Amino acid sequence: MERATVNERLTRILVLVILALGAVAFMVPFYITVAMSLKSQSELATTSMWSWPHDVTFENYRTVLTNPLVSFSVFLKNTSIITTISTLGTLFGCTVVAYGFARMKFAGKDRLFLVLLSTMMLPGLLTMIPSYVIYAKLHWVNTFYPLTIPSFFGGGAFNIFLLRQFYLGIPKELDEAAVLDGASHWTIFSRVLLPLSGPAIATVGIFSFMGAWRDFMGPLLYLNEPEKQTLELGLRTYQSLHDSQWHLIMASTVLVSIPIIILFFVGQRYFVKGIVMTGLK
Amino acid sequence: MAFSSLHRNRCRQLRNIWAGIACLCGLAPAIASAQTVNLTFRCWDGADNMPAIFSAAKAFEASHPNIHVRVQSVTDSYQEKLLAEVAAGIAPDVVMMDPGNVEKFAIRHSLLSLTQLIAKSHYDIGSFYPNIVAAHTYHGDLYVLPRDIAPISPIYYNKRMFDEAGIPYPDGKWTWDFNERPELREHDFLWVIHQLTKTENGKVVRWGYAPAWQDLLWQQFALSTGGRWADDYMHPMRMKYDDPKVMKAIQFAADLTLKYNWVPSATAIKTVMQTSANLAFAEQKVAMMQSGIWEVPGLRKAIVKGKPGYFDWDIAMPPAYKDGTLHFSTGGSGYGIMASTKHPWEAWLLTSWMAGAPGQLAMAATGLAQPAIRKLSQSVPWIPGPNTPPDQQVPHNRIMMDRSAELVVFGPFGTEWADASDFATRILSRVWDGSAQAADILPAANKEGQERLTYLRNQGIRPKFNWTIGGLVAVGLFVCLLAWIYLPERKIRRTEREKRENRAAYMFIMPWILGVVLFTAGPMLLSLLMSVADWDIIQPAKWRGIENFREAFFVDPRFWISLRVTLAYTIIAVPLGVASSLALALLLNVRVRGIPVWRTCYYLPSVASGVASSLIWKRIFQPDGGLLNAVIYGSHGHGNLFGIATLLKPFAESNGQVNWLNNEHLALPSLTMMSMWGAGGGMIILLAGLQGVPQYYYEAATLDGANPWQRFRNITIPMISPTLFFCVLTGFIGTFQSFTQALLMTDGGPNDATMFFGLHMYKSGFQALRMGYASALGWVLFAVVMIFTVVQLRLSKWVYYEGG
Repeated sequence: MERATVNERLTRILVLVILALGAVAFMVPFYITVAMSLKSQSELATTSMWSWPHDVTFENYRTVLTNPLVSFSVFLKNTSIITTISTLGTLFGCTVVAYGFARMKFAGKDRLFLVLLSTMMLPGLLTMIPSYVIYAKLHWVNTFYPLTIPSFFGGGAFNIFLLRQFYLGIPKELDEAAVLDGASHWTIFSRVLLPLSGPAIATVGIFSFMGAWRDFMGPLLYLNEPEKQTLELGLRTYQSLHDSQWHLIMASTVLVSIPIIILFFVGQRYFVKGIVMTGLK
Repeated sequence: MAFSSLHRNRCRQLRNIWAGIACLCGLAPAIASAQTVNLTFRCWDGADNMPAIFSAAKAFEASHPNIHVRVQSVTDSYQEKLLAEVAAGIAPDVVMMDPGNVEKFAIRHSLLSLTQLIAKSHYDIGSFYPNIVAAHTYHGDLYVLPRDIAPISPIYYNKRMFDEAGIPYPDGKWTWDFNERPELREHDFLWVIHQLTKTENGKVVRWGYAPAWQDLLWQQFALSTGGRWADDYMHPMRMKYDDPKVMKAIQFAADLTLKYNWVPSATAIKTVMQTSANLAFAEQKVAMMQSGIWEVPGLRKAIVKGKPGYFDWDIAMPPAYKDGTLHFSTGGSGYGIMASTKHPWEAWLLTSWMAGAPGQLAMAATGLAQPAIRKLSQSVPWIPGPNTPPDQQVPHNRIMMDRSAELVVFGPFGTEWADASDFATRILSRVWDGSAQAADILPAANKEGQERLTYLRNQGIRPKFNWTIGGLVAVGLFVCLLAWIYLPERKIRRTEREKRENRAAYMFIMPWILGVVLFTAGPMLLSLLMSVADWDIIQPAKWRGIENFREAFFVDPRFWISLRVTLAYTIIAVPLGVASSLALALLLNVRVRGIPVWRTCYYLPSVASGVASSLIWKRIFQPDGGLLNAVIYGSHGHGNLFGIATLLKPFAESNGQVNWLNNEHLALPSLTMMSMWGAGGGMIILLAGLQGVPQYYYEAATLDGANPWQRFRNITIPMISPTLFFCVLTGFIGTFQSFTQALLMTDGGPNDATMFFGLHMYKSGFQALRMGYASALGWVLFAVVMIFTVVQLRLSKWVYYEGG
């Protein structure tokens, strides 16, 4: 018993050392982003990109937050609305559809699953123009609809596939017990599978939130008016053909990233083992 | 002063003239549509120029109360958005255009000819620099009213460095020859850049001169010595990169770096100058920098009196060739009217306001854009007078821009030219890195480029795409798909309970089925139809049949190049990515202190990616002073971390270090390395998968005496195999299509070493406007990915589904 603890401790120290070394490497790009965002434009011009600012200034943040042409608060509101709706839509759509593919038998299931995968295989830039034309015909351009409504229809092949894999890893005995009790599929889905797939749902949630939050091409195509635009679009206005204002781009990158970092930090709480699962057998 | 008041008068006159015209010509329609006319105005200016544009638009609205203008700025993917809108018939009324892109829209009748509107309003087009008007004219019609002309002439020079070296400031009378002429002193350009280059311990610490991008320099050399790389710059048919004068100019530009070491290398220019040329100048890393006038606002903000690192600076005319000839390339932009506008007259009023005197003056005041109207380019807002605030007076010598405007050479233009020329000049990276001489490789490259140009130019007239047949085929294909899904099920007999489950299951997957029918199937089928069409997005599609596929397999050399690049990348990057995600997930699943923080650290690169990260990564890979080389070779440049330097020796440059992104052998591995930083995404998925492994399995195995490897091999792997399989499969599907990193980091170079299949498709579709061909490429890729996927599904016996 004593030895095992020593061993375990050694392992933990080793893991910590490896984690720290790796984290340094992984933090480099973000460190530079933050460092550049805290430099004044003239310091940016005269110091190395790697250095920490001599004079830490929040001027760039102030500029970004108060620019009257790129209204941060309006963009934040729009981004929040779009992201919340499309994340909810995705979570609803893919949990349901994935249940069908993972837990039920139906005609043409394997071939439909291949069709599902195939929708990921055609490069998006080919379907971009036709999709735009469809949304234009629906008069959805310059509204949030093209960025939110489609997510309710299954939430994308990637997420469906991901959840299906998770559902398939959950022992079938659980459903069978419920079936014996006369439960419908909807009951099994909502009472048995959903509570057990916390980590998977958190994963899909984080991905779809981040995808919508940092989406560029969608809002670029479908939102024209400044009062409808999103943070990622606002960020790009500091980047122009000849004179990219890197200090402002970096500051807005940090600002735009903060909500995702918080969400990720919180979302990991769901990365714990399902209680029922460990107690089952 | 005098200019200024003259100017205001002119503006007032113009406004009166417009008002008069509106009354005379437009009276009837104006009364008929007394209600407000809404116009959309689209430009690609960023936040720095938008105040000027907004104020010009506000002034327009004030003087035209019945016209309401919506100003939209699109700084990125401008053309993609415009093309989508054109295809849907909802393009803006007035759009920004530049000489390089106007042809695409003009010859396809997507832009309105301004010639009649100019005549109708008696607009004084003669007041513009004639050559920028000519550059926007096709078949005798003007399609864009130029807003600014941007000769790539000004050499920004650091006065302090000239003072220190005891060299008089350049007065524009200097010349250059292929050899340094010390006897001419400051009148020899090479002597000046030689003097200004500063070396410490055999390492260059300051360059005498740097072009903002590589092509600028050799093009100036070629143009000034009479070299032309196309027969006709407005309508090129013959490619002439094998012209001895052009080859000599290219070689000379390379020699300035490789032989003399007075100019930074092509990669240094690409990584440092191109991302932020004005920073390199402001950081005093270069004594002189050549670029367009647009650097001025950035420099004014970066070089501030009283702040550390301040120095005085100005601009000078670049040197002429020794015989006095001087020419350079140019940029420029203007506004055009989309043919789809419902209010051509009002759109013209807006165009001639924004591109005319009021708009040009607003832009000139920012120091950013040289007015395209010659008078304005000589007026006070542009040439700083005594009343200009001191911080806006630099550069003082803006009068040189007026002479520059007469020396510019526009072009070569043309969509086909751009495609073919891009292909021919891919090989130039070998001249820049010194592995080949221009005269040895350009004749063959020119021949290849010419073949491509001839092929693209000789497409003949094609019949219209038959949409009735096309629609029937699409419906037929869809029916076939349904039959393939359903027919094998017919013979299966189901019990009542199974039938009930069948119905319930379809209810569960119904959202997805609806989504496919409503949003996915249509665009996919359309792109399938377009794979046998000639479709430029703007005009109606034409029939091209099997020729798209024949071109891909037998004509287009980049098809095989890009397929090979993509296969190589995918086969390395996906397993490596999944392996590192798994390693991270296992590490971050151990119960150590602060695990949420660690996890966030590793996920950060995925969160903060985007425009910012491409700049950072370019700097990390930078050969001189880049982080990666600093780690490997140490700050002194002779280190050998873990023997990596020895391994890299065969790829090293003359200074003993490697040039990651600009080396044909290292560019793809560099992008692969960069992709590792995205392992955080896969890490989350696998981490979630690891939560499903019951702890007591491990406990039981440990009791049975299993060692950690056996536990990993026999418990962890099988239990997370469903998620692992997911990571592998989606990794392959996604990586086969990936290209954005290559687009941002290397643009497919050097010498097509990172020409991903997706990038080739993107360039074919959106830059060359060959969406039909791009669709054919896309469906070839679809087939490749499908085969890969089906094989993996067949081989997926290793995946263990507890609930399967």
